[in-house]
Amino acid sequence: MSDGGGLWLLALGPAGATGLYWALYRYYRNTDKSHDFEHETKVDAKPVTGSNRKVDEITGTREKRIRGDNVHAYRQRVQRIRGDTS
Amino acid sequence: MSNANTPPPGPPSAAPTGPGSPQDVPPPRGTFPIDPATLPDPIRKEIEAPDPVAIDTGADELKDGVNRCPKCGSTEIRQKPGTDMLVCLYCRNEWQSGRVEEEFGLGEGIDQLHGTVIASGARDIAADAAAMMTFKCSGCGAEVTVNTANAMTARCHWCRHVLGVNEQIANGAVPDAVLPFHIKKDDAVARIRQFVDKRRLFALKEFKEQFTPENVVPVYLPYMIVDANVGAGIAGQGEIKTREYTRGSDNDKKTYYDADVYQIDRHVDFTVDDLPLESSTERGNLDTKVNTNNIINTILPFDTKNAVKWNASYLMGVTSEKRDRDVEQLRPRLEDQLLSIARSQVEDSVKRYDRGVRWEQESLDVHGTRWVSMYLPVWLYSYHQPGSNGGMLHYIAVNGRTGETMGSVPVQQWKLLTTALTVGTFLEGIALWILGHSS
Repeated sequence: MSDGGGLWLLALGPAGATGLYWALYRYYRNTDKSHDFEHETKVDAKPVTGSNRKVDEITGTREKRIRGDNVHAYRQRVQRIRGDTS
Repeated sequence: MSNANTPPPGPPSAAPTGPGSPQDVPPPRGTFPIDPATLPDPIRKEIEAPDPVAIDTGADELKDGVNRCPKCGSTEIRQKPGTDMLVCLYCRNEWQSGRVEEEFGLGEGIDQLHGTVIASGARDIAADAAAMMTFKCSGCGAEVTVNTANAMTARCHWCRHVLGVNEQIANGAVPDAVLPFHIKKDDAVARIRQFVDKRRLFALKEFKEQFTPENVVPVYLPYMIVDANVGAGIAGQGEIKTREYTRGSDNDKKTYYDADVYQIDRHVDFTVDDLPLESSTERGNLDTKVNTNNIINTILPFDTKNAVKWNASYLMGVTSEKRDRDVEQLRPRLEDQLLSIARSQVEDSVKRYDRGVRWEQESLDVHGTRWVSMYLPVWLYSYHQPGSNGGMLHYIAVNGRTGETMGSVPVQQWKLLTTALTVGTFLEGIALWILGHSS
């Protein structure tokens, strides 16, 4: 067995303890819950329009996802372009 | 003799006069001192653009004070449990306030919304409006006080008539509509008990000892129900994986990826129907570090389509919380939620970017919004956990219409920590055993 594999196994105890603590804490206190208005509100959307333009190529990265991936983090606000709000 | 350096007392401060002073009779609504036809086009267009429209949801047939049964004239009116009907306790006559959805056309024309349309019960709260209201009982002439901060009805202690606040006043207490309770108390108690029974093992000992779900109280909480017609633009970068390969020897294998990077723009126009926003400052604060208001937020949404025109009789025996936020104060929250909805709407259109998308810019064009204030029914059970900074108030809330239940059960920290550490130690033991046997 490699050293990397061994070290990973040693983290099992602390990771298991922390994971269980947070999972149970949230189950009791429900601090992560809120109104899922993105899906529970009636939204009538017209077809999405837009453009896709290839701008670059990456070779040999070790990262599994794009850096700063926020495609699922709807509520995380990014730079707001103003001037078109009526 | 007075000191020469002391300035002579000035004239008593005069009441403000001149245009714009409070003494001036305001000009008729919608008028402009100059004939707009004589003005340049851009200015004229601005002046002639429609004002924010207030839908008048006031009920002419209802007045403050004594409200009588339309059949027998009694004031002993209650909501018939489990229904939207009002019932007279004397003659058993049953009737219902009209549904606001149909009466004011709230479900229609959202895609045609332009500007800000505010129903009359959602108008700005006057700064000097008091929560305490005193009115004369039309039964006997006695003065009866209603504290609209937490109640909308009171009983005249002389003649026993029930008095209700029905006219829309500038303190924000009278909404446009109310959604009557459907879930009865027994049902709410059963749901809370079921919810807590699933969370007993690590619950705080004192909480379990003092747990009496029968103490649940019905409360009408204030919300703004918003329809919106918007367009949103989002821009960012996405990556598509083109190659995946490993390098290195057996023990030091590393995975590498090649990817194409795209600049992505998306635009979506959409309408939102009946988005509820807390219109009480206290309830709108969803900071889970200091309160458990997120619990009440979670039991949203309500079937607001079935809300009926305001009638204080629906609130007999039920406490209520007064609205203290205006449309403009809630607008940032609305825009934030609309942007979140826009982001969720475009998610499907970027599925092919298998390495994810990093949105960098977003814009929102709000074409129109319509605001209606509403009292929504919630069964609320609370437990105060003592602690630093005043402790924590834990809520268990049941949606008074759908029965959706959510709650915050205080945790016995030492028990939870001990369990987590025990499980951690056990896992670590297994890990060490595996390591010991593999080397």
